[in-house]
Amino acid sequence: MTKQLQSVVYMFLISLFFASLVSAVKYLSEERIASNQAIKLQRIVLKVLDIPVGKNISEDRISSLFTERVKDIQVGEKTLYVGYEEDGRTIKGYAFPVGGPGFWGPIHGMVGVNPEATKLLGIAFTKHSETPGLGGRITEDWFLTQFKGLPIHPIEGDQKIFYLKPAGTTTAANELDAITGATNTSSAVEAFLNKDLDHFLIKLWRSVEDRK
Amino acid sequence: MPNLPQKKEIFLTGLWKDNPVLRQILGICSTLAVTNLMVNTLVMDAGLIFTVCMSSLTVSLLRHYTPMRIRMMVQTLIIASYVIIVDILIKAYLPEISEALGPYVALIITNCIIMGRCEAFARNNPPVASLIDGLGMSVGYSLVLIVIAFVREPLGFGTLMGIRVMSEGFVQWTVMIMAPGAFFTLGILVWIMKYFLPNTKTGEEKT
Repeated sequence: MTKQLQSVVYMFLISLFFASLVSAVKYLSEERIASNQAIKLQRIVLKVLDIPVGKNISEDRISSLFTERVKDIQVGEKTLYVGYEEDGRTIKGYAFPVGGPGFWGPIHGMVGVNPEATKLLGIAFTKHSETPGLGGRITEDWFLTQFKGLPIHPIEGDQKIFYLKPAGTTTAANELDAITGATNTSSAVEAFLNKDLDHFLIKLWRSVEDRK
Repeated sequence: MPNLPQKKEIFLTGLWKDNPVLRQILGICSTLAVTNLMVNTLVMDAGLIFTVCMSSLTVSLLRHYTPMRIRMMVQTLIIASYVIIVDILIKAYLPEISEALGPYVALIITNCIIMGRCEAFARNNPPVASLIDGLGMSVGYSLVLIVIAFVREPLGFGTLMGIRVMSEGFVQWTVMIMAPGAFFTLGILVWIMKYFLPNTKTGEEKT
């Protein structure tokens, strides 16, 4: 056997071995990774719909709570999550994904609104690449809780649904505290959230109402 | 099979005398990237220790069979496989940390320490010695990262392992969270350690 051929055969065998090893590990973990992601999504939907989950809840409990209280429906290309009260019939609210460009990269999140689509129930950000400690603070509770109960309405003219203003300068109900030192992230969040909320109100919510 | 003092010597060389970060200035990218939180640092350390040890061991085991001309390909394949395995395992069992570390786990593969050890040591030395060498180097790397995280997290976030260590009124040093803070910390650390590490130029008495 020539040296070149020997090298090719050797490389082939060693690639085969390591590829099989990696595939085996991947195959064995696939289910767990998928369930991790599903539970993460369920936790977020429950959170923005303001359905109390409780601390240190087991993963199974989250899944069962989700199937009890939430149904997902397809509206066009978007997924809409419908949350129900404990009786399982009264609608508690709708949740839908939001997102747009942040300062460093795309930001993804989830928003929950009440059944009449007049105020926000909750908001969460699921994925972002903002600077930790600055723009990254959009995931902190103090920032997120100020969205609770925010009145919403379709955008008319130049009026936005809400504004993020420097902390301490907010006066109206639709003015919330921005993040100090993260002006770009704050204005990015303000821009895409206003746009997505407006889109929900004039398109998605109407089509859901029409179905009834 | 190396005897005990030799093993100790190999381990201490990586840990201290030829410390990969302080002395060889290798693996700097990940050093700067993950050290703003201690938890991320520890996971990165564990991932690197596993990858370096396993890669060095495997390269060493195959050293008589691997043709010289394709050894780099073989090393890259071995390293990549272990890194992907680490990445999958972290995603499956530590999903929150996997998200915090983002692409950095997959980027362990570009950590020069791993291939550096395969090339410089493992391909010419027996398995046990290579494993110890990998362990020494990666633990040496880990200790430096822990020291840097120990400075950056309290100053940048006011916490350590997520637990508040600074008083409530403490103003966070935002620069410490970002890359420049890491550069300053690492630079000062290398500068200080230069006085304590044996000097390579005059250190002829013991080589």
